[in-house]
Amino acid sequence: MGLKRNVSLSTALGYKGQGPYLTFILHRIGGSALFILFTVYILSLLGVQSMHTLMGNWVFQIVFLVFGLFHAINGLRITILDLFPKLIEHFRTAINIEWVVYVLVAGFAVFVVIRNAMGG
Amino acid sequence: MVTRTLPLKKRGFSFEVFMWAFTRFTVIAMYGLIIVGILGGLRLSMMTGVNFGDIMYWAFFPNMAENPLGQVWMNLVTRLMVIAFVLSACGHGVHGVLEILDDYFTSELARRWSRNFIITYAIVASLVAMYVILTK
Repeated sequence: MGLKRNVSLSTALGYKGQGPYLTFILHRIGGSALFILFTVYILSLLGVQSMHTLMGNWVFQIVFLVFGLFHAINGLRITILDLFPKLIEHFRTAINIEWVVYVLVAGFAVFVVIRNAMGG
Repeated sequence: MVTRTLPLKKRGFSFEVFMWAFTRFTVIAMYGLIIVGILGGLRLSMMTGVNFGDIMYWAFFPNMAENPLGQVWMNLVTRLMVIAFVLSACGHGVHGVLEILDDYFTSELARRWSRNFIITYAIVASLVAMYVILTK
């Protein structure tokens, strides 16, 4: 039986978690997205034609870049804070820096994919 | 803000501590392998004059695109490095997915089956990936 939390996502985001909670939930979504990508990638390498086509789809690429890059960048922040606990005092600053880095990297990645989809 | 940190020695060596360390170390290994991969790609680009983006594309999709460089970089060391990356990613991913599933499955039976499924999946996916890396 599943848990009955009775707390909607919007309520959770509006509660004390806010920014950190948003990164937590996006990290999970990103991890799940990468798990799916890994499966599609392996099947594609094995020569499954439909997975090959899916990998080449620009919408698919954008979805996985947006969520996958967030997972990687957020994971780097978590790892740094875990390995250097004294920095935890500045975790909100770390999250702000993470967002700036993420927007720049993901923005560039999405730009490249869309530009290629439009024919360069 | 007061920070509370507990040295590893005082944390004990429970399953949670082990998996926390395992997840952190596998992700550090992945970051390290990504950096080595990028540096290797840049070095190859410098040596051959081929576009770095094309090298990455040929490396990620060995059976999808004609690779004019042939097997220049796919030596044993590179293959072992890619296998190490896949195994690190699998180990890291298994724990991550299990953590998510454990949040939604509370019964003992559902948890046990989700664990069995995800670990079996990781083993099969790793074997398939290693087969592809070693044979393509």
